[in-house]
Amino acid sequence: MRRARACIVFSSTYAVLYVAAMYYNLALFTYYPAAKQFYPLVPATPQARGPAMFWYGWIATAALGALALSVLSLVVPARWAMRLWPGWSWLAPIAVFLTLIIILRGWFIRV
Amino acid sequence: MITVLLIVHGLLAVFMLGALTHQTLSVWWPAPAGHQSFFASFRAVRAGSYANTIVILYLLTATAGAILYPSYRLGIRVVLEDLRLNAANGIFELKEHFVAVGLGVLPAYWLFWRQPLSAGYAGTRKGLTAILAVIVWWSFLVGHILNNIRGFGV
Repeated sequence: MRRARACIVFSSTYAVLYVAAMYYNLALFTYYPAAKQFYPLVPATPQARGPAMFWYGWIATAALGALALSVLSLVVPARWAMRLWPGWSWLAPIAVFLTLIIILRGWFIRV
Repeated sequence: MITVLLIVHGLLAVFMLGALTHQTLSVWWPAPAGHQSFFASFRAVRAGSYANTIVILYLLTATAGAILYPSYRLGIRVVLEDLRLNAANGIFELKEHFVAVGLGVLPAYWLFWRQPLSAGYAGTRKGLTAILAVIVWWSFLVGHILNNIRGFGV
């Protein structure tokens, strides 16, 4: 039961945290592929030549946040946990997909 | 080396695509008892036995993709931008985000496909499986299209 709760919380919150990290650029680290160098967080000014990649850092941010919330879910009272609907684990990612499509619509249509 | 990894990435994706398609159809469109047509046989699989393999294949394929990504960022995306192929860039952007979200779906997917299957969670299993199927099909097709645009080993 506890493991189930943690898995549901992780899968539900990870998707939301990922899209937030991506939208607000809250990467845990930044990678410069041309220089093959990592830097913590998002440097205010370019730290190396070439483009910066934040994707890995967004995943790390979302995973860390979701992991923390999963652990937190293990200590909440059982009666609260019983209310957790397993469907959030697939509904939250679908909502995030729709959000991503809206955020990225500029690639497909002129806005 | 990158070319070899790209081929391995593609092959892993093919394996996963097959497994997920079998599983998805078997839960959304179960084969009627007694039917032995090709399509019925395709759906008449023990869906639960695919789950662990799908999780492992997803992690392996995503890891290979993550290793390849810098090469794409430096060698292909720049060209797409120069050619003003915005839609091509956009579908890849969606791919990278969908795959990342899929990584977070895996714990719940693994949990609800654990044996013995709980009948009470059949709907959740269907939802999670469908999400992964959409992600994998989208990613596979986008990867194929972008490879066609840029060429291979250029």
